[in-house]
Amino acid sequence: MTERPAGYHALTVDEERRGDFDTRFMRINVGPQHPSTHGVLRLVVDLDGERIVRISPQIGYLHTGFEKTMEHRTYQQVITYTNRMDYVHSFAHDLAYVLSAEKLMEARVPERAQRVRVILTELNRIASHLVFLGTGILDMGALTLFFYTMREREQLLDIFESVTGVRMNFGYFRVGGLYRDVPESFEHDVRAFLAGFPKMLDQYATMFMKNDIFVNRTKGVGVIPRERALEYGLTGPSLRASGVPLDFRKAEPYSGYEEYAFEVPTSEEGDAFARFEMRFREMTQCLRIVEQALDRLEPGPVQDPDRRISLPPRSELETSMEAVIFHFKLVTEGFHPPRGVSYVATESARGELGYYLVSDGGSMPYRVKVRVPSLINLQSLELACVGGLFADMVVNIATLDPVMGDVDK
Amino acid sequence: MTSDDVPRPAATASTKRVLEVLEAQGGRSERHDDQLTVRFAADAIVEAVRAAREGGFDLLSDVFGIDWLRYPGHQGPRFSVLYNLYSIHDGERLFLRVDVDDDQRVPSITGVWKAADFMEREVYDLFGIHFGGHPNLRKLITPEDLEGHPLRKDFPLGETPTLFNDGRFLDPAAFRAGMIGASDGLTGWVGGARKGVVSEQAEPLHPSRVHDEEGSA
Repeated sequence: MTERPAGYHALTVDEERRGDFDTRFMRINVGPQHPSTHGVLRLVVDLDGERIVRISPQIGYLHTGFEKTMEHRTYQQVITYTNRMDYVHSFAHDLAYVLSAEKLMEARVPERAQRVRVILTELNRIASHLVFLGTGILDMGALTLFFYTMREREQLLDIFESVTGVRMNFGYFRVGGLYRDVPESFEHDVRAFLAGFPKMLDQYATMFMKNDIFVNRTKGVGVIPRERALEYGLTGPSLRASGVPLDFRKAEPYSGYEEYAFEVPTSEEGDAFARFEMRFREMTQCLRIVEQALDRLEPGPVQDPDRRISLPPRSELETSMEAVIFHFKLVTEGFHPPRGVSYVATESARGELGYYLVSDGGSMPYRVKVRVPSLINLQSLELACVGGLFADMVVNIATLDPVMGDVDK
Repeated sequence: MTSDDVPRPAATASTKRVLEVLEAQGGRSERHDDQLTVRFAADAIVEAVRAAREGGFDLLSDVFGIDWLRYPGHQGPRFSVLYNLYSIHDGERLFLRVDVDDDQRVPSITGVWKAADFMEREVYDLFGIHFGGHPNLRKLITPEDLEGHPLRKDFPLGETPTLFNDGRFLDPAAFRAGMIGASDGLTGWVGGARKGVVSEQAEPLHPSRVHDEEGSA
């Protein structure tokens, strides 16, 4: 008989009745083209009967070399790449990058720009969690909720489109502020969403949080204990589901998050149900933040007036030679932050997200290191899966919520 | 359970204690703005990381490399490996830094922190820095047959053809021309040219058929 590997729990097939059909230590390949892997994630899974003995993610199918490319683009051009990594929560990447670059430049971002950034990032967090809920439950075979969540997400994408002009890969934030002010309809649209969405959340709750099939499928599945989660570097809602109240919006407030009252939901369970629940409850908190930010949204400029960073207003270009010079310098070579490094940790829908920038005094970053949450959270898949059933693997992948663009960079 | 008030960083007494321990182990600390970095010799890093973890830095946020080859005025070893640690209770961040040259190894910290597994593999993949004692030091995100380490400063970007081990290469210009149908380029299709492309050249051969032809000739 083969030696039992570490992590081995119990035999699921009665050895005597197995006969000639040996189901021990079967190696199965899942993906990279598989709907439950949410992109191009490939998993090599070793099975003992129905139980997983070892699971090893093989990644890199979406590797685009963003970090290398960013070293050859000016600081404002980099924003084109940041939002293409986590295409589900794009604004979080844009925000993390501009915060880090602004720290290098010591830029003073106007209050209005900060509020708009918070509103958009939180709405985008809701949109991201909606994708998570819809597809996560779709993986378990329930189709209905997917249509509901996509319906509400559509409303959000319409808002993003009216503000940025596009529905994905927004590129709306700039170092020093925003690309332009929000349209007049913005406040009305967001208020309409705020008014309608809580009702929808109640519908979701009836549809799945109280649904017997869903609860049985997720309760006690893929338990990640607190200590193990920290050992594996897990962050974000998945870590909070294991009982660690770490949220960088509270721990290291940025963009004025310290002004808003909101709670950080945590749970002690650490199972798949708790991970669903965390994101579900987080959406209510996002609504609270958006509402407060919207109430305090005052008219004003949306770009740092500092000419080192921001383009001069169009009207000045016809009368001021100096403005033309600044415009020319900024467009052709960009701005030059002083030598140094900066890192700002932010909370994306998936966990800790930060850009470590190294400046050599030139107009392009010398080194950009993106601390992507999905890649590091993916290691915890082993914790959730080993010892569990093969069929629960899709639940575990869904609840860790990896976005492959965010994993492979 | 909800917590409206997650503990905000109040005192950094425990951080100071960790710093004292680290400096006793041979670390040199420096502070830029709010960023605290402690430098170590390569062979002292495992003990340093362990001391920091025991001192309350309970989240290993990241491990990453920097290549100083083209940094103006840089002196000393070519690479740096940085360890980004975070203390959840105190809300403090600490960077540990190791400087290494091309042929030097860095001891792996996977024994202290399981999270370092992917992080060190990524550094190995993109910079070619070896981590001694890593249980599974393989490439993480670049293809198996890609030669070189892309984030090194002497690794070319863009218009230079990407070379693979078996002599295969990707020529960006031809590739782009193939994409818009201006040339068959490297986007040869099995069974002939792409639809809509009228080609006067011989139809490109799919790589799997080249061997067959050679075999029969």
